[in-house]
This record gives sequence, C-alpha cells and structure tokens, in this order.
Amino acid sequence: MPAGGIGEGAFFDEQTLVALGAPPPGSFGGGDRRSHLLGGQRAAAVSTLSTIVFIAVLIALFVFAPGAEAVRHTFFNPSNMKEAFLGDPRLGLYSVGKGLILNIEMFLIAEVLILFFALVIAVVRQLRNPVLFPFRMLAVIYTDVFRGVPLIIVIYAIGFGVPALYLKGISTQSDFVYGIAALVLSYSAYVAEVYRAGIASVHQSQVSAARSLGLSQWKSLRYVVLPQAFRTVIPPLLNDFISLQKDTALVSTLGAVIEANRAAQIDSSTLFVYSSYTVAALLFLCLTIPLARFTDRLIARDVNRRLAGAGTVR
Amino acid sequence: MRKTLALITLVGLGFGLGACGSTAQISATTQIGGGSSCTYASIQSELYKPGALTVATDSPAYPPWFENNTPSNDKGFESEVAFDVAKELGFSKSQVKWTVEPFNSSYAPGPKTFDFDINEISYSPQRAEAVTFSESYYNVQQSLVALKGSLIAAHHSPADLRNYVYGDQIGTTSLAYILNELRPMQPPSVFNNLNDVKSALQEARIQALVVDTPTAQYISSSEIPNSVMVGQFPSTGEHYGLLFAKGDPLVGCVNYAIGKLKADGTLAKLVHEYLGLYTSVPTIKP
Repeated sequence: MPAGGIGEGAFFDEQTLVALGAPPPGSFGGGDRRSHLLGGQRAAAVSTLSTIVFIAVLIALFVFAPGAEAVRHTFFNPSNMKEAFLGDPRLGLYSVGKGLILNIEMFLIAEVLILFFALVIAVVRQLRNPVLFPFRMLAVIYTDVFRGVPLIIVIYAIGFGVPALYLKGISTQSDFVYGIAALVLSYSAYVAEVYRAGIASVHQSQVSAARSLGLSQWKSLRYVVLPQAFRTVIPPLLNDFISLQKDTALVSTLGAVIEANRAAQIDSSTLFVYSSYTVAALLFLCLTIPLARFTDRLIARDVNRRLAGAGTVR
Repeated sequence: MRKTLALITLVGLGFGLGACGSTAQISATTQIGGGSSCTYASIQSELYKPGALTVATDSPAYPPWFENNTPSNDKGFESEVAFDVAKELGFSKSQVKWTVEPFNSSYAPGPKTFDFDINEISYSPQRAEAVTFSESYYNVQQSLVALKGSLIAAHHSPADLRNYVYGDQIGTTSLAYILNELRPMQPPSVFNNLNDVKSALQEARIQALVVDTPTAQYISSSEIPNSVMVGQFPSTGEHYGLLFAKGDPLVGCVNYAIGKLKADGTLAKLVHEYLGLYTSVPTIKP
C-alpha cells in the first residue's frame, strides 16, 4: 500500500489522499517549478526533442518551400516594412506606426465607456421590481439587437447614417467619435452578458447573508455581489478587451480614421508588397501578448488567493 | 497519448518534406501578337473557359461605362467596347460571359477567374508588375467634384487646393493623384468604395472628391444633385487598359482587336456617344 508519497510510512498513499480532497503534491509551489511544468525529467527530454522537430519543420517550410522566396519578398521585406512603419508622404505611404496610436486611443476610450455602460445594462437586467419592467425589456432588446447586428453594419449606420439626419450638434461629429460610439454600443451588449454571468455566479447565500445583515437591495449589490462578480469575470472581460483592440480597425471604413490596418492596406495597394500587413500584425501582437500574459497572471493570483492553493490553475 | 504525439510529429514531418518536394508552377510570360494568329479557333487554348469570352467588371457598374448595372446589355461605353473586342475575335454576343470582380482585387497579383477585366482600370507601373494591361482604350483625365456653393467651388487656385479635405477610394489612381499632385496639408480620407466617397461628399464630411472626368460628369449631373464639377485636371498620360492575368498570352490578340477598333473609328464614335463632355468644364491646375 504506502510506497513513498506524502510522508514515510503514511497510512494512505498519495492517490487516496488526493481523492479524499487534499491538495495535489506540488500545488503549494514546492519543488523545481520548471520540471513540474514540463512534467518531470523524462518528459523534459521528450518536450525538447519535439520542439526541435517542430521548429525544423517550420524552418523547412519557410526556407525550402517552392514559394518561400516569393513569400519572403512579399510579406517579410525589411525595407518595405520600415517604409510602411514610418510612412513616406512622397511615395503616398501612410504610417502604420502613427495609425497604431489611433487604434490605442480608440480602444482605451471605448473600453472605459464600455465597462461602465455594460454594468448599467447588466444591473438593470437583474432588477426584480415589477415597476421597472419596461427598463428590463429595453435592456433585453438592446442586448439582443447589438449582439445580433454585425459591428461593421453598426459602424456604417452610425458613421454614415447619423450625419445624414442633420441633427444639430450630433450630426457634425468626427469619424473618430462615431467610431467609438459604434464600438461602445456593440461591445456593451457583449460585456453586459459577461457581467450578468458574473452576477449569477455569486452564490445566493451571499445575497441572503447580506440581506439578513440589513443591507438593502442596492447596498448588497454594491458591497457584496458586484465586487465578487467583477473578480470572477476579469478573464472574459480582458478577453473582450483584446477583441476590441482588433475591432477598432473597422472604424477606418468611415474614411477619416487612417489607423494601422488601413494604413497597411493603403501601403500595400500602392506598392503591391504586403509587408505593411506584417508590420501591422506584429504591432498588434506587441499589444495583445503582454495583455494575455498579464491576464494569465491575474487569474492565477486570484485563484490562489481565493482558494488557498487548492485550485489547479498554473 | 504517446502514440498520438508520435503520429502528430510524423504528420508534421511529412508535410514539411512534401512541401520541399513539390515543384512550383511558373507561368511563361510570352506575348503573341499579330492578326493572322488571332482567329477564333487559334485563341481557344488561351481562354479561361474555351468557347466563351469571360469578361469581368465591378458591381455596381455605373454610367456612362455601363447601364442599369447590366454589363451584358451592350449599352454603356465599356460594355460596348468589350462586345466590339469580342466581335473582332470572332465571338458572338451570346458567347460573352460576364462575371463580377471587385475593383480593389482586380489588379492584385495571382490567377484570375476571367479573360480580361474592363472597369476603368488605369495602367500604372506598379500594377503592371502584378497584372498585364492591354493597349489604351481611353485616355483619362482626373476631375474635381464638390458641392455647389462650397468654398472649393469658388476658390481652387493651386495654392488654395492644398487646404481642403479630400476623400477617395482606396487603391485608385485618383487617390494617388491627390497624394502626388494636389498634396493637401491634411491627409485625404480613404474609403472602401466609390459609394462611400459619394455619401461622404453629400454629407459634407469631405470637401471634394477626385475621379475621372466621365464619372465626375455623371456624379455632378445625375447622382448628387447639388454637386458641381469644379474643373478638369490636365492629362498626366493616364489611360485605361483591359486587365489580364500576368503573362496572359491573350493580350496580344486583344491589342490587335483594339488597334482595329481605333483604325476604323469605332472607338472614337463610342467616346463621342458616351463620354463627350456635354458641358464646358474649365481646366484647373493642381
């Protein structure tokens, strides 16, 4: 029965103990992290070999395939990539780097507005007072409509439709403003549903405990439910944020906002070399990969803090 | 689990080696011209679909180039040019098949799904590296369109022209003309298609657009009622050509057909019928 494992001469072996609910060995961070990650010494050797083979295949495809030279010249041409990044007015090339600044401005402003607006919608949806039924209905319709209509159509409708209405003040905004308005309207519908899932995940006992302490519905929402709900849904929220960063590209269809992707499009249609797209893709990766790793770290830290190491998130 | 991993590695290796082993297909870039070798029978092997002449254009297709968005009705300058070229090569009207090819992708490198594309596509050296152009069938000048009574309609000296907000379709020589010749202080707005540019002009989100003279004439007379053709820019040698896949040998015979249409006055008659300037338009300098 016992053969090593947790303590010499243990009454139960490892597997039984884990099955009974003990944290799995190594989950408190003990032992060499790297070998734990790779699954032990033998697994480390296999992983290394597999990675080498994988990289060799990729290099073979990239260097020796028949079209490799053309692909390298068209997509990975260093001088074209530099021209596209910096822009060159004499050649009619827009700058992808400057365009990225527009993308960043758009998604930062939009994200703040979305987080707020979506919270309002989610809270309205879960109100139970029968008097507020019309508002609940409005929130449901809003979510359905703006999750159903593709973002490009919303952008067109607002960017081309609102100016055509000739309303004072509203119809004379810039494309930048219309683009952000469309992004906020569309993404708030998705994020409101994410919030709703978070609110629903808070156990009913929390609400009962709050009410029994004498907190009103609003106070229990504000001090008990929403903080827990928000922490639970941080990963999907960051996921939507990353998606938003890419969708800011659609605002360029309105014409005046020459952001990174649009600049890359214009550059490639002038030169017929697609290296500008590569530059735009690399710049976006520089934005999203750190955010993704940060998300992973947030999740791990939050799980470890809440579940005291009994979770299985690495 | 181990078996699956081994299998995946083997498959990956197999793909890699297979890619190295396959041979590339490079098309020859020979151009055969000349009348006697351009009979209906001799060009069959060069066609996209033997027995038919596949012609592409964009949708919607605007007057005066086409009419009613129906390229096959043989009305409109480019529709008639295409049918006349087909007739010179020995095709009947019913043997001409029309397909849709968006403008933005027509001059991109790669194989084509048509014999030639006729869509007001200007020859440019960069485009000619990716596709093959026929001889010119129309020499084109760019024109400026703005709303009636707007600032640019009244003030359009070369110095004034640098101060306005222009808009144009992505990838067009009109956009290139704005960037290279007009060189405005504010970068022009760039739209996906001409419809969006026209909407933007109507809503005064741009102050002017640049487009070829016949299209400008159509826009200012019929499409946008309160617009006006401010003026025509001098020629830069720009011309329209029929667009072929790179290295397509059919271009030789099509050039021969266009030559014949020029010689017997058919082309001039069509220009006069569809593209004649019916109002007097000033020439303005960029």
